[in-house]
Amino acid sequence: MLFSDIVTPELFASAVRLATPIALAAVGASICERSGVVNIAMEGLMLIAAFSGTAVALLTGSTWLGVIGAVLASLIFASLHAWASVNLRSDQVISGTAINILALGITGYLMETIFGRPGTTESVQTIPPVFDFPSGGEGFLGEAWHWINTVVFSYTPIVYFGMFAAVFLTWALYRTRWGLRLRSLGEHPRAADTMGVNVSAGRWFAILVSGFMSGLAGANLTLEQVGSFTEGMTNGRGFIALAAMIFGRWVPGGGYLASLLFGFAEALQLKLQIFGDLIIVPRQFFLALPYLLTVIVLAGVVGRATAPAAIGKPYKSKA
Amino acid sequence: MPDPSDKTIEQIEQEREAAERKNALDQQRIRRAISIATPFISVAIAVIIGSLLMLAAGKDPVAAYAAMFKGSFGGTRQIGETLLRATPLIFTGLAVAYGFRAGLFNIGAEGQLFLGGLAAAFVGVKVAGLPWALSIPLIIVAAALAGAAWAFIPALMKAKIGAHEVITTMMFTYIGRYFVSWIILDHFRAEGAIPQTPMLPETSQLPRISDVFTFVEPNRAHLGLVLGILAAVLVWWILKYTTLGFEARAVGFNPTASETGGISIASTTIKSLCLSGALAGLAGAVEVMGVHFRLFDQFSLGLGFAGIAVALLAKNNPIGVIAAAILFGGLSAGAGTMQLEADVSQKVISIIQGVIIFMVGAETIVTWTVARIRDRKGDADAV
Repeated sequence: MLFSDIVTPELFASAVRLATPIALAAVGASICERSGVVNIAMEGLMLIAAFSGTAVALLTGSTWLGVIGAVLASLIFASLHAWASVNLRSDQVISGTAINILALGITGYLMETIFGRPGTTESVQTIPPVFDFPSGGEGFLGEAWHWINTVVFSYTPIVYFGMFAAVFLTWALYRTRWGLRLRSLGEHPRAADTMGVNVSAGRWFAILVSGFMSGLAGANLTLEQVGSFTEGMTNGRGFIALAAMIFGRWVPGGGYLASLLFGFAEALQLKLQIFGDLIIVPRQFFLALPYLLTVIVLAGVVGRATAPAAIGKPYKSKA
Repeated sequence: MPDPSDKTIEQIEQEREAAERKNALDQQRIRRAISIATPFISVAIAVIIGSLLMLAAGKDPVAAYAAMFKGSFGGTRQIGETLLRATPLIFTGLAVAYGFRAGLFNIGAEGQLFLGGLAAAFVGVKVAGLPWALSIPLIIVAAALAGAAWAFIPALMKAKIGAHEVITTMMFTYIGRYFVSWIILDHFRAEGAIPQTPMLPETSQLPRISDVFTFVEPNRAHLGLVLGILAAVLVWWILKYTTLGFEARAVGFNPTASETGGISIASTTIKSLCLSGALAGLAGAVEVMGVHFRLFDQFSLGLGFAGIAVALLAKNNPIGVIAAAILFGGLSAGAGTMQLEADVSQKVISIIQGVIIFMVGAETIVTWTVARIRDRKGDADAV
């Protein structure tokens, strides 16, 4: 096993790809939590989106309709969370947990009802990469181009959208009137309300943004990466996204960068499995690596990061 | 028009106060009634939503629920199956409920359960040869310790740096499952192709209730049920009569006030989450000792998560947990019959669970509905 066998441009590209579902959810979550609403439902939203995306793509034959189906399904369940946490003033963690458990049940139920069997669906045509440049030639220049081509130009559309969303939403959060108002909802909703900001509408919108991003995360997972749906396939990514968002200090761009760390751990894990025979460490250790990393990241960072002041508290207007 | 001079100002004041008191008492009674009604209404709504899903799939919900009831309470054997499935849920329900009482959401009971199960399987095999009265307590202690140990790091992280237990206990569930799968694959494995631990000797197994009390018709329910009921009483007693429980409730109710009152939030958090983990570990132990007699990868499919629904439905009341666990045990026991006879996917059970959690969490739905009904009734009275 050589260093150059492991550290290849493909490793970095694979890190970005594997980070994308986590990053999309983390970026959405930072908007949601900035408005003062905890969203632990991303795991479920992603799962529902992954299933709906695959189902729509299989039934219509169009992968892009699948993406739309994934986002719509996630938005519907995000609305449920919004209704519970904004209008009914439920405990947001409990409402999120309910959605996570519902998601497991509904996807399993529909799996058996629509496709007649549990487990995994048939495969769909995955979305191809946006660019298709020829690979480089010989020599140093060719090698350099190979790196750039692989690390920068090898991705599918939703991966690029995730990068765009991270930059755009960071800008919007700090440089627009909308961003200022959104942050005020999470810090001091009463003051925002007094100033004429509609707390309920602002929080609804923020939760829907999170639903939209989680929907894309599910679509990316099935329609761009795996190509089929398996029950429970999100495997904790929604929770890892939550940790990434905290690590990124509730800033969309920060959440994106933190997700890259998890993506890298996963890419490395997959790569090292190939060399499994040469390493004494058991395979399960590598599989557990992203979760271990989450715990380590939280242990190192949480004390220094501060959540929005009004996070998780239902708001009741006095008007 | 009565003469105002009939009443002194004091009398008027007193009457007004009495009326206010009565009003406040009424309000309190209504709130209590709603609180008691919520679980029942939640279950009803969940059942209705389940029916709608079955109708949408072209299935007959009445036949499905009838089959489910037959499969869960239709006879001694079925009731035994229901109690068998309720047993681990009593423990995971207690685990989650105790956490909630201390203001902690132990979403990772599933992982603690696996570790408890592993400890039970390991100690259960190692104590072969010891008499029953020694081996069973040893296994129970080991499983409780393993569950508590698996909750300890998340507890420490919550207490010292405020890392949210929902993320950390969830991560520890994944880590725990991979850890267990590594142990039973490479280190503690029975002969044969399937990765599983060796079988427990008979002295480490919990006997069936129908074997102990021979007048009961044979069924699969085992003495773990009795342990579960004892655990529920113990948790109730801890919460009500011990300092440990008082501090947990105080911190769960109002951490700032508790700290001012001299209770250490950090230490209470650690103790409470570890006790919660210990209870979840016991769930793994009863499954190993009473049902499977060994541990394998798929030995729990979400018993820890079902515990959340059980705790919420029971409103975190330890005795209520027993009833809620029996309800979910029944759902789970009847699901097979339902699938067989009415051709409805068993997964409908987790949908019902999810809806129940959602509804109990959104108590305001019930408050709102009750207020609506009262309004309408008030209008009717006026007419």
